[in-house]
Amino acid sequence: MPATLRLGASLKQLLGGRDEFSVEVGRSVRDTALSLGINPDLVAMVSANGEMQTKDYIIKEGDAIRLLAVVGGG
Amino acid sequence: MNGYGGHILRVDLTNGMTSKESTPPQVARDFIGGRGFGIYYLLREVPRHADPLGPQNKLIISSGPISGMLIPGGGKCDWTTKSPLTGGYASASMGGHFTAELRYAGLDSIILEGISPKPVYLFIDDDKVELRDAAGLWGKGTFEVEKHFKEKLGEEFQVAVIGPGGENGVSYACINHDFGRQAGRGGVGTVMGNKKVKAIVVHGTKSVPVADVDAYRAAGKAIFKACKEAEGLKEWTRYGTTIVTSWCDEVGALPTRNFSAGSFDKAKGIYGQTMREKIVITDKGCFGCPCPCGKYSHVRKYNTYVEGPEYETIGLMGSNLGIDDIEAVAQANLLADDLGIDTISAGNAIAWAMECYEKGLLTGKDTGGLELKFGNVEATFKLIELIARREGLGALLAEGVKRASQKVGRGSERFAIQVKGMEQSAYATHNATAMLLAYMTCDVGAHHNRSWAITYDLQVGREKVVPEKVARVIWLQNFRPMFDVLGGCRLQWVELGIDRNLYMPALEAITGVKRTWEDLDKVGERIWNLTRMYWVREIEGFGREWDLPSPRFYEEPPTSGATKGQITKFEDVQKLLDMYYEQRGWTSDGLPKPETIDSLGLRAFVG
Repeated sequence: MPATLRLGASLKQLLGGRDEFSVEVGRSVRDTALSLGINPDLVAMVSANGEMQTKDYIIKEGDAIRLLAVVGGG
Repeated sequence: MNGYGGHILRVDLTNGMTSKESTPPQVARDFIGGRGFGIYYLLREVPRHADPLGPQNKLIISSGPISGMLIPGGGKCDWTTKSPLTGGYASASMGGHFTAELRYAGLDSIILEGISPKPVYLFIDDDKVELRDAAGLWGKGTFEVEKHFKEKLGEEFQVAVIGPGGENGVSYACINHDFGRQAGRGGVGTVMGNKKVKAIVVHGTKSVPVADVDAYRAAGKAIFKACKEAEGLKEWTRYGTTIVTSWCDEVGALPTRNFSAGSFDKAKGIYGQTMREKIVITDKGCFGCPCPCGKYSHVRKYNTYVEGPEYETIGLMGSNLGIDDIEAVAQANLLADDLGIDTISAGNAIAWAMECYEKGLLTGKDTGGLELKFGNVEATFKLIELIARREGLGALLAEGVKRASQKVGRGSERFAIQVKGMEQSAYATHNATAMLLAYMTCDVGAHHNRSWAITYDLQVGREKVVPEKVARVIWLQNFRPMFDVLGGCRLQWVELGIDRNLYMPALEAITGVKRTWEDLDKVGERIWNLTRMYWVREIEGFGREWDLPSPRFYEEPPTSGATKGQITKFEDVQKLLDMYYEQRGWTSDGLPKPETIDSLGLRAFVG
């Protein structure tokens, strides 16, 4: 079962509206973001199956990954 | 008038009189509410060069048309005054439930005028308005006083209260509400304390007239639905503003040891994840919020409970003081809230003092024996109290870092991290030129919430100095504060990314006036220029010099962290201002040009 990656609203806008991707397993979230054209510095938070992870997290089979950006601050 | 409580309450503290007048329709039309009302009454009614701590200054508290309505985030009100910290414009936004009760009491604004001869509190229960004796409450902490009113008057009363910091004239005293929400910046609590008003308590049962009830309900539901379906709602609610702590550390924006760096070697101790696991026990939201960012914490080390800390407090009272213990940060937060001082300015003041101490500019003789080294938790706790009491070194730090550094001199002015006299909030800007410009040109001083442009820096290249960045800063400055005009919270748009156009049907249904965001952006531009005109009116020789940032960001590259060796060149600082003034229609010294004033219809406010 491949992994899925979903994007928060502002990252979705950066990628022209696409918000869900099927992604390779065995790669880090950072490398995966780069391959999708997302600057990893814009990613404020990585969630894997509901748990907060770092961008160095290696994606596993069946993972549901979510990337959230900070767009506006406090 | 649809969408409004309908009345402005004036409180003449000198004579102990209160009166009501109808909310002027043309003010509602042109300035809408919140901070729009604030700058209107400040410019119109507070005389030029009034002493911020004199009877001529006023404290203007205003809700907006979505305050207290069934619209997500309708829990905000604005507190405007002439700032005792900066001598210029102050406007602080406060969340919670106060603004809703204000509206249900039939009020759009309260204007506090004069100075009471003795401590009082303002009691409002629908049409019953009284100034009551507060001698027995004077000197007490904010939590004790709020609890007192809740027990005495009932849970339905909402309370805004100052602490000893406001009573004692700390230049950055805040106003506390709901046991953890603040009107924090610019010394609004100082002005309230100067007027001898310990608290305002309010309760109302009236309805706010709405132009189209069915459309209002539908529009409100649509915004709630968008929030509930937003990607990231779960994470945002879990971590609130602390979601950015680890990100700021990673990109070099986390203020560290008095902004000498943007990454903290021990930052994991204060990350949002650490905080959630170690101390957070539940979430806490403002009126009508579907995504509560407030975190309520049990600080076991000190056996205390506190709302927070928010990211800003973590940055300024954590990493900026070299403190890596989230429990210590939470306790510092609690002390500052109870004593009624702004954690952002206080954190800066303590960090500046620590750097002075480590550089030998302050000695044990100055500190009363406190070893003011970065990371000293106990010294931090002690200094918070000394500041609020204006005792010992605290009396100096209570002035804010600009005036304190002018008194100490010997180069300490160069690491007083402030713009226009207001201490910088929690984003290090060594190499983030849009964010630096946002701080330089913010209308209250170095505050982030008008224009938060740091992600734009990362998108387009952080060191770039290009017109697009300047345009972005200006757009955000015009647009973001409109939430403070409407009386709502911007975080649903900011953090959940919901479509801002969803608010327009709601605003129309409530007020009966059809508006677009283009209309509101124009109102925002007018307000931005009015606040600038206020600075020009109040400060002799106001101009470009007042927009310069701390030299730390153009002279001292960090020696560690993500921005190691990076800096913004001074010539780029000047270039940013050149472009900004040009795009704003201001002179090369930063003053709105006559044609700009005329094109925005602001001629009546000149002088």
